[in-house]
Amino acid sequence: MNGKPLLDPAVLAKLGGLKLRVRAITEGVLTGLHRSPHHGQSVEFAEHREYAPGDELRHLDWKAYGKFDRYYIKRYEQETNLRAHLVVDASGSMGFRGSEDRLTKLEYASALAASMAWLLVRQQDAAGLLIANDKVLRTIPPRAAASHVSNLVEALEQSTPAGETRLGAALDWLVENSRRRAVVAVFSDLLDADPDVMKRIAQLAKRKHEVTLFHVLDPAELEFPYDDPTLFTSMEDGRSVEATGRDVRRGYLEELNRWLAEVRRAAAEADVDYALCRTDAPLDAVLLPFIARRARHAA
Amino acid sequence: MNLQFLNPALLWGLLAASLPLVVHLLFRRRARPLAFPAIDFILRARRQTERRLRLKRILLFAARTLVLAAIALAIARPKLESPAAAAEAPRGPSAVAIVLDASGSMSYRLGGRTLFERAKEDAAAALASLGAEEPATLVLCGAIPTPPEPPGFERVALRRALDAAEPTAAFADLTSCVGVAAQALSGSEAQAAMGKRILVATDMTRGAWRLDQPPPMVRGPAGPVRPEVVVLDAARGAALPNAGILAVDAQPDPSVGPRGFRFQVELGSSGSEPLKDLPLQLRVGSGADAKTALRAFADVPAAASARKSVAHAFPQGGPTTVLLSLPEDALALDDARPLVLDVPREVRALIVDGAPSPIKLRDEAWFVEAALASSASPVRPKLIDGEALASEDLSGYDVVFLLNVRSPGVKGAELRRLVERGGGLFIGLGDQIDPDRYGDELGDLLPLPLHVVKTAAERGAPGAEARAAHVGEVAWDHPAFGIFQGTAREGLLGARFFRYVLTRPVSRKGNGAEVSKVIAAFDDGAPALVEARRGAGRVLLFTSSVDLEWNDWAIRTSFLPAMQRFAALLAGALEERREPPTVAGAEKRIPLGDGRKVAALVGPDGRERRGGQLEAEGFEETGAGATVRPRLPGLWQVRVADRTGERLDPKLAFAVWADPRESDTRRLAEGELTAWLGGEKVARIEGEGGKSSGGPAIPLWSILLVLGLAAFFAEGLLVAT
Repeated sequence: MNGKPLLDPAVLAKLGGLKLRVRAITEGVLTGLHRSPHHGQSVEFAEHREYAPGDELRHLDWKAYGKFDRYYIKRYEQETNLRAHLVVDASGSMGFRGSEDRLTKLEYASALAASMAWLLVRQQDAAGLLIANDKVLRTIPPRAAASHVSNLVEALEQSTPAGETRLGAALDWLVENSRRRAVVAVFSDLLDADPDVMKRIAQLAKRKHEVTLFHVLDPAELEFPYDDPTLFTSMEDGRSVEATGRDVRRGYLEELNRWLAEVRRAAAEADVDYALCRTDAPLDAVLLPFIARRARHAA
Repeated sequence: MNLQFLNPALLWGLLAASLPLVVHLLFRRRARPLAFPAIDFILRARRQTERRLRLKRILLFAARTLVLAAIALAIARPKLESPAAAAEAPRGPSAVAIVLDASGSMSYRLGGRTLFERAKEDAAAALASLGAEEPATLVLCGAIPTPPEPPGFERVALRRALDAAEPTAAFADLTSCVGVAAQALSGSEAQAAMGKRILVATDMTRGAWRLDQPPPMVRGPAGPVRPEVVVLDAARGAALPNAGILAVDAQPDPSVGPRGFRFQVELGSSGSEPLKDLPLQLRVGSGADAKTALRAFADVPAAASARKSVAHAFPQGGPTTVLLSLPEDALALDDARPLVLDVPREVRALIVDGAPSPIKLRDEAWFVEAALASSASPVRPKLIDGEALASEDLSGYDVVFLLNVRSPGVKGAELRRLVERGGGLFIGLGDQIDPDRYGDELGDLLPLPLHVVKTAAERGAPGAEARAAHVGEVAWDHPAFGIFQGTAREGLLGARFFRYVLTRPVSRKGNGAEVSKVIAAFDDGAPALVEARRGAGRVLLFTSSVDLEWNDWAIRTSFLPAMQRFAALLAGALEERREPPTVAGAEKRIPLGDGRKVAALVGPDGRERRGGQLEAEGFEETGAGATVRPRLPGLWQVRVADRTGERLDPKLAFAVWADPRESDTRRLAEGELTAWLGGEKVARIEGEGGKSSGGPAIPLWSILLVLGLAAFFAEGLLVAT
């Protein structure tokens, strides 16, 4: 059992709402917080620095020039220019959970996304949200205000798994609406009807966005613990198939592992950070490495 | 072919074969619905394994059904029968006679076991399958069929007799044995109303049946009827290829050497392929002293016989054991044939020349000496003149040739002693002989008293050759003439005799041993060669001369072997003809002298048989010796007892052969046999070979059990994988 019981998905599953979960999660991972390394536009002046060629002229302190007849550049503390887009897949397949005591994949992804938003906003980074299935269901532009997190949590709480997975729609929306370089975190099981979804994610990375793919899967999907004759029905369309679990397990796992390897390879080629998230794994095991990676990139 | 069941009621057990279907239909688990996201992977996995899984399910279902069905069918004891056999199968109980073939060919090894062992198992199984109300008896078919008991219900005794039965090396006449069985079934009036069945457990070799004889019939209240005959084929229809030695004829062959023998070996093959370079071996001696004397190769055509001639010169004389052998095959009985030979020992002969001449052709003894001294002759002759006879010590000789000796009287007594102690005396006549004086000097040593010289024709006179006498009558069966066979006799019969001495009729009346025997006579009836036993020895009187003076025999081809033969006969080195090897189970005579008895027989297995064990070999004492019916093929030795004690007598050793007729293992056509026995209505062949005959019953239960077992293991394997 994890040393931080509140980060255990089994415990989180018993918590009533997403807000409570976010609080539990963030308290668990607060020790990993950092100050924003960015210096840019903000409200609190920090110091003057002598102008050097290449500095933006709009940061020149004309008053100081008047006084001292020298060019100084203004610097501000606790400012940030990080914008994060949290893309959450809310298709039907995300409603799956292999066991009653676990979170559904959407709940797990929502908890991750909300916790991440809270942590980002807490350090003055802007976090936005995009919920999609085969179309964009809801968008919240990135903001760094503390009250903004509540909007995000609320939106995530209201989302329900339905429809087919077509992340392409969400990614297209991002390409069109996020011209500035940003962090994009995608929470999905990638069981997409579009076989080229990884190419769409790669296109996003090519546009200088820092893309992190949180591949959320249930342990039952990874291990296929079924033995008996079972009528498997699709969660996104009307397909179904009757099979005896022990007869098809070997073939299923072979197909699954081949697919996972392909996703990993495509992510690595596109310079996309990839994290496989089992819904029975503690959330800090996912969040802390992400935060650490962010710190490295910023430095 | 009809499928019959011994226990048809148990076929209800076949319903158990539907159990897998019932279980499948009634207890099939319903699929539990489950919403699952990664259904694409399941669909792909199922597509890959669907065909294999469906096949596995079908195989599993089939294996389980087969296991249950095979067990149910096996318990019902099915068998395949021809429609005729099924129709004619007796409905009521039958009196049964089981005939067990114990002939030599049943020692054939097939699949690691002898056919006799298989036949015993078949007979035991048949006995066990008889109904409790069916009386039975057993006929063991060896050289002489055992007279069977009337059919009875003593199953334990029958089983014990069956277990105790042993194969023989003898010929078995199955026609006779089936006849004996039919007689046994005819005996009881109490069983008259019953069906009659004869079960014959045999190997189906063609030589065992005489289909030209009447088929077996059983006497019934309404007259003779054909019994039902079931032949239990121990060979299971398999061909029985065999190569063996059928016969060996051993004859002295002077061309090979002094003690040379020629062996005419008849080889037989029952196989469908010709045999090339079949190695034939001749071993001399017995036991650890046996040595391979020669090796040869023979070709034998398919299913036929061939002759091979080999020769060997023995280094020593006396009784000698010889073994001719082929490489051992499935039927070992006929692969080796022992022989006991009397190899002539060296004979020391004294030739007394009564009319020597510096011209060899006119010398009285030149032709005889040349004949006896030839390189192939076992005789070592010494030549002396008639005058030197008086000073010669005769004790160092086996035989003395008196050739035209004028006055042998000076040595009369010594000659008598020589003959009486076992030596020989040959008396040849001529112009030096005075018949009356000769009678006076030699007395009763002479086989017949001499009378006068008869001149058939004057040599050299015109027409003399036509008027010359010839040998007209010869005792060809006498050992002295044993080598003259076929055209070789012409060499003796063609000789011309111009002059010879007539003898007086025999007036002497002595005991049997003293009586003279004319073994060759001229065409006028006058004796030409007379043999007489004197004491332990012999005297031969030749009434003409042994040079060219009175006849031309000396230049005939028959002269040389005849002289050597006479020398051997007179020396006791050529006894009466050795009897050919005895066939196993046949009577063998053992000649014994006065005061001698058979103490024991030593068989080919090295075991000594005395007392009661001798009786088991058919031993009986007769006036002049004993007779025995040895069963085991090989070399038998006789231990004799006399006043001095017991010892093995090599001269009495004898060879016993497996009956050569048993070497023919060619298979009898089943159709012929069933036709002779009365057709498929009353006769059938059981065994794998019977399939072609159209009339067998095939037990299938064991095959079904094996099938069920295989299905059981297959089911386990399918479940495990």
